Amino acid sequence: MNPPNLQALQGGDAAEWDLAFRWLWPAAFGAAQVVLQPCLPAEVEDVAIESLEELVEGVRSLSSAEELRPLLAGIAHNRAVSRLRQFYAAKRGAGKTESYEAKQEACGDLPEAIAPDDPVGALEHKELAERLGQLLAELKPPQGQMLADFFLRRLTYEDIAKKHAVAPGTVGVYLKRGLAAMRRVWGPGGKDV
Amino acid sequence: MNDQEFFDLALKVIGARASDAEREQLEMLLASRPDMKTQFEEIRDDARLAKKVLPLMEAVGSSSGEFPAYARERLLAKVHQTLGQPQPARTKRGWNWRWALGFAVGAAAVVLLLLPMLTRPAEPVIQVAMLDTAGAVRGEGSDLDALKAQWKHSEVRTFDKAGPLDTWTTNWPSGAKVAAKVIYDRAAGEVRVILYGPGKPVAKTFSVGQDLAATLRQATGFIQEQTGK
Repeated sequence: MNPPNLQALQGGDAAEWDLAFRWLWPAAFGAAQVVLQPCLPAEVEDVAIESLEELVEGVRSLSSAEELRPLLAGIAHNRAVSRLRQFYAAKRGAGKTESYEAKQEACGDLPEAIAPDDPVGALEHKELAERLGQLLAELKPPQGQMLADFFLRRLTYEDIAKKHAVAPGTVGVYLKRGLAAMRRVWGPGGKDV
Repeated sequence: MNDQEFFDLALKVIGARASDAEREQLEMLLASRPDMKTQFEEIRDDARLAKKVLPLMEAVGSSSGEFPAYARERLLAKVHQTLGQPQPARTKRGWNWRWALGFAVGAAAVVLLLLPMLTRPAEPVIQVAMLDTAGAVRGEGSDLDALKAQWKHSEVRTFDKAGPLDTWTTNWPSGAKVAAKVIYDRAAGEVRVILYGPGKPVAKTFSVGQDLAATLRQATGFIQEQTGK
């Protein structure tokens, strides 16, 4: 599916939004899932819907349809982080419940997503969206896919070489360049946040 | 060991994809080359950032996952509430407004057109008679024709005596709000017009010169002038 017509969305065209929601949904759901899946999986869908609502409110500030998905992912990520913080704050407050405690035990003391020095969670959603957009432009194929294969799917150099039909010796080169691109956008190790 | 080889070794260890031999090799290298430790820590920080950012990157590019149908109505309501549909909504209101205005203007125009018709006096009933006391003479027929031509929808009565004409003159048609009697007195050479209406009766006499038809037109003009018809 192609990106929706931004002008139609900004004009409140319900039919265009109807199509756009389907196109945008995976970005909202995926970004919320990254944060909430371990502890609050039942909240993922709700956060994704709330994020789409927030996107509707902010759509007139955009100048390109390409900005829609990064912005939505930024909104969904930050909403999910807020939801997780509320969940952990409840333990310290008077409203704690047994089910919360049980969940917290399952999730650990403090998920990385809500850690104070988290390089992603510390950004406002607009800045996060900008950086995601910049990174999308910086990562040359197949750098992004290889990084995801190594860090998210935990493939070995050899598996990645086979998957992308490249020599095993070149996988490290792509990964090194991909991390360098990330460092340019986020600062070394995310320290520009 | 060059930079790329060090990067590969460090990344495999950081990513838990290294063999025991590779881990040992890295430990020995960092122990013998403390300057490589900073480089290793940078790679570890970058790996940590990648683990945070890459899931979001994947979400941005993802096309899997089905939009839940139950959310559609809620989100479209949000669209309507936030962005509205200003054009169609305004157009709809505009049409209603224009329609009402158009109707009002049209109705006013109709009223203006009908008003004179409604307020104008009723079409006068015109009765025509000719008094010819001399009896049948030459030219009588053409005079009758002239009268019939002027008042096509009226019967033209002919009297040869003044008595019956006087009776006819005072006998106004029932139900007529406005009526006119036109009497052509051939002998006197005049056309008398008597108007009967809401006010006092009005009468006027026209002398017939060379042209009876012209005199009859004058009589018609007088009736129209008096009745507005």
